[in-house]
Amino acid sequence: MKILVPIKRVADPANANKVKVDDDATKVTSEGLEWVMNPFDEWSLEAALRLTENAAEKARVGEIVVVSITPGEGDTDHIREALGKGAERGIVVPAGTDEQLDASVVAKILAAVVKKEEPDVVLMGKQAADGDSAVAGTKLAELLEWPVVNYATNIATSDEGKTFEVKRELDIGVQTLKVEGPVVFTSSDRILRPDSIKNGVTPDDFEYADLGDLNSRLSNLKNIMAARKKPIDTMTLDDLGVELGVGTEYVKFTLPQGRSGSAEFVETVDELVQKLQTEAKVL
Amino acid sequence: MAQPINRYKADLRDFNFLMFEQFGLQDVLGKDPFSDWDQATCSEVLSQVYKFAQEVTGPLNRVGDAQGCRLEDGKVFVPEGFKQAWDKLYEAGWRTLGAPAEFGGMASPVTLAVLSDELLSGSNTAFNMYPGLSLGAAEVIAEFGTDEQKKTYVEKMMNGTWGGTMCLSEPHAGSDVGSSTTSATPLEDGRYKIKGTKIYISGGDHDMADNIVHLVLARIEGAVPGTKGLSLFIVPKVKPEGGSNDVQVASIEHKMGINGSATCVLNFGEDDDCVGELVGTVEHQGMRQMFKMMNFARIGVGIQGLAVASSAYLNTLEYARDRKQGSSIEDWKDPSAPRVTILNHPNIRRDLLEMKSKVEGMRALITKLAVHQDRLKALGEDDESETAAYHHGQINLLTPLVKAYCSDEAFQVCERAIQTYGGAGYLKDWPVEQYARDSKIFSIYEGTNAIQALDLVGRKLGQGGGKNTQAFLGDVQKFIKEHAEHPELKDAVARLQKAHEAVGGSVMQFLGWFQGGKMPNIVLTAERFLHMMSKLAIGWLLLEGASIAIEKLKGDLSEPEKAFYEGKKFSGIYYAMNIVPEVIGDAKTLKACDESPLAISDAAFGPE
Repeated sequence: MKILVPIKRVADPANANKVKVDDDATKVTSEGLEWVMNPFDEWSLEAALRLTENAAEKARVGEIVVVSITPGEGDTDHIREALGKGAERGIVVPAGTDEQLDASVVAKILAAVVKKEEPDVVLMGKQAADGDSAVAGTKLAELLEWPVVNYATNIATSDEGKTFEVKRELDIGVQTLKVEGPVVFTSSDRILRPDSIKNGVTPDDFEYADLGDLNSRLSNLKNIMAARKKPIDTMTLDDLGVELGVGTEYVKFTLPQGRSGSAEFVETVDELVQKLQTEAKVL
Repeated sequence: MAQPINRYKADLRDFNFLMFEQFGLQDVLGKDPFSDWDQATCSEVLSQVYKFAQEVTGPLNRVGDAQGCRLEDGKVFVPEGFKQAWDKLYEAGWRTLGAPAEFGGMASPVTLAVLSDELLSGSNTAFNMYPGLSLGAAEVIAEFGTDEQKKTYVEKMMNGTWGGTMCLSEPHAGSDVGSSTTSATPLEDGRYKIKGTKIYISGGDHDMADNIVHLVLARIEGAVPGTKGLSLFIVPKVKPEGGSNDVQVASIEHKMGINGSATCVLNFGEDDDCVGELVGTVEHQGMRQMFKMMNFARIGVGIQGLAVASSAYLNTLEYARDRKQGSSIEDWKDPSAPRVTILNHPNIRRDLLEMKSKVEGMRALITKLAVHQDRLKALGEDDESETAAYHHGQINLLTPLVKAYCSDEAFQVCERAIQTYGGAGYLKDWPVEQYARDSKIFSIYEGTNAIQALDLVGRKLGQGGGKNTQAFLGDVQKFIKEHAEHPELKDAVARLQKAHEAVGGSVMQFLGWFQGGKMPNIVLTAERFLHMMSKLAIGWLLLEGASIAIEKLKGDLSEPEKAFYEGKKFSGIYYAMNIVPEVIGDAKTLKACDESPLAISDAAFGPE
């Protein structure tokens, strides 16, 4: 099974207070931001790794191609990180600026990459932690005329990705879908649960360790060293026949109000209730 | 019950600065024996090890401290989560970064292994001792063992299947290792029967590995007294052919810190059934062989000091940026002035900058030592050139500085960290009190700092006819000469010059005492001198870093880069202006050598 995993680099959500907007408030300034792999994409990378390995024997049985569309020169740090976790190949598409890369441009670029790479599956984050549009996956499927399952919590295949049984947890219950590849999946965080992925190769009774606070497995030294020899191809917008066009106009960015930051400790529940009633006036 | 929350913090920017902007590690990368390594891979490894430290070992630091180890039915049980962390560590491969490929390692530059060790040690000192010592013991067998021994033990000890220890101390033989009484009696099959008690054995037993391989210093029957009669033995907990090897855990110590690390009293051969193999084939080589591990461990202790001090500083900095107390001193007459964070108070700024400069100074000293090792490796084992001798000499000379200065300063930095937190720092709600307790052992184990000072003054200063010392002082002098007129650093360099003269003078003083047979004076002043020389070395390295940073600041930089280089500049200037001058006063005190401690009678110290 061949899976394409798109990876966006986003400003570290853990340091969101470092984000600034420029003087006329029409764009986020990238100066001084710490870039990390979009956590939602990390979930998909982990799911893709689980779909393409025999976890009991620690053997890879499929192929993962990670693709990153990177403003400017084409930074490959996060592709390398993904290769260090076990992915096979990387593709970097250097393109424009963050503002130019709205969901429709991203979907067009990815569709062109998919046409070249012909994967069985595209597995991507349900959204990016910066823009939160949650559109690119669906748009991509539309352009490819592929089925799409958003917010997948479980993915199972027993025929190497020809067909899948996919679950989505909704407010009204769990929805189970059968879908034929090729297909686009976007994943929910529950995809990381120890038994969320079944690929017909890893024994069904195998349980992954709980990842705790992590969004994907840790890299290991062997993979990092092997990653040095793994290829990272560059595809330009010309190669892909895609033009940057302004699909979205950003009118204004406003930073959230700083929190007042005061905390008060109370001794008893009664006191808390009383304060919530009389001081905070929320009850 | 302590919750598993990570408090460990590191600033990898400084690691990268030292490797690639100050010490030029890239010179040796991409070619033999580091052909698999490049700059990007080194940086990537460090960020992944840091991630591991924050996610896996860091959260267990407080847990291990609160729970400690248990001894039940003669077996040691480590704190909750340690076993899983052990498995994850070996699966990730970080512990064998620098190990040779033939034993499953990645043969990385020493510098990378050392800086990774900082991340692992800093996140959880107690935990990291188990794999750290296992690696050290494995390296001894890898270097001195027979082919058979290498095959049996080394890879398993490097990949975490088995643990390892070093067994030197005995109840009456601590610093005086030569008075060890553990005995080895030859058996017909070429092995030896081992009998004796060893104390303070870190990781002497635990439930994370199937077997634990002890390296035991013992005296073969009839061997001469003192260190020259000692041999080194491989004594596994479980015999190679299976079955218990009569290594019994008599007790575990209850300590001030590093509570997650099991410190054991081990009885070898209590039932007369403990068998050991000589390391290699030649008897009475024990001290020489053990020194391989001791040197490794001594540098490791310096790294522990740096590691803990660094996280203490970064936690304190975070606290100081958050904690509001008092108003700005500029508003001292106005009681209604707004409250400010304590980072605004001049004394707090001074203490923070002192901690920062000391931490970066220790890291620079340790990185320098490691890069000497890498340059030596790059020359090849058989190289007998002057360059190789130079690197060798600097490694020997700097090792006691790294061990003793970094361990002494670690405790001081932790003390300042607690002080900066105020009352909060004394509470277990914050990480710094544990750092202080954990770090106190660093100046004691692996040869007390007094022993390090004697090693420096009695052995290292005069090694090769004083050539290594001269080369060191020459390197410092060269920097001083080149930067005496530096527009931003000249005042700082002037102080370094005075300290350089002071250290040179004290070296001559020691020579005089040696020639005059005034040995007690040497023992009286050796530790003071070790600190003088360390301050000179670190003052030099920090100012070198500052001069590089000042050049970089002339370029067009992003805000965080600008802040980083400005920080490097002020670390250098602060240390040179505030710490280096102590050397000048110390040299006067050393020269005067007040002999009161010798003159005073035992009774005059006070009542019994």
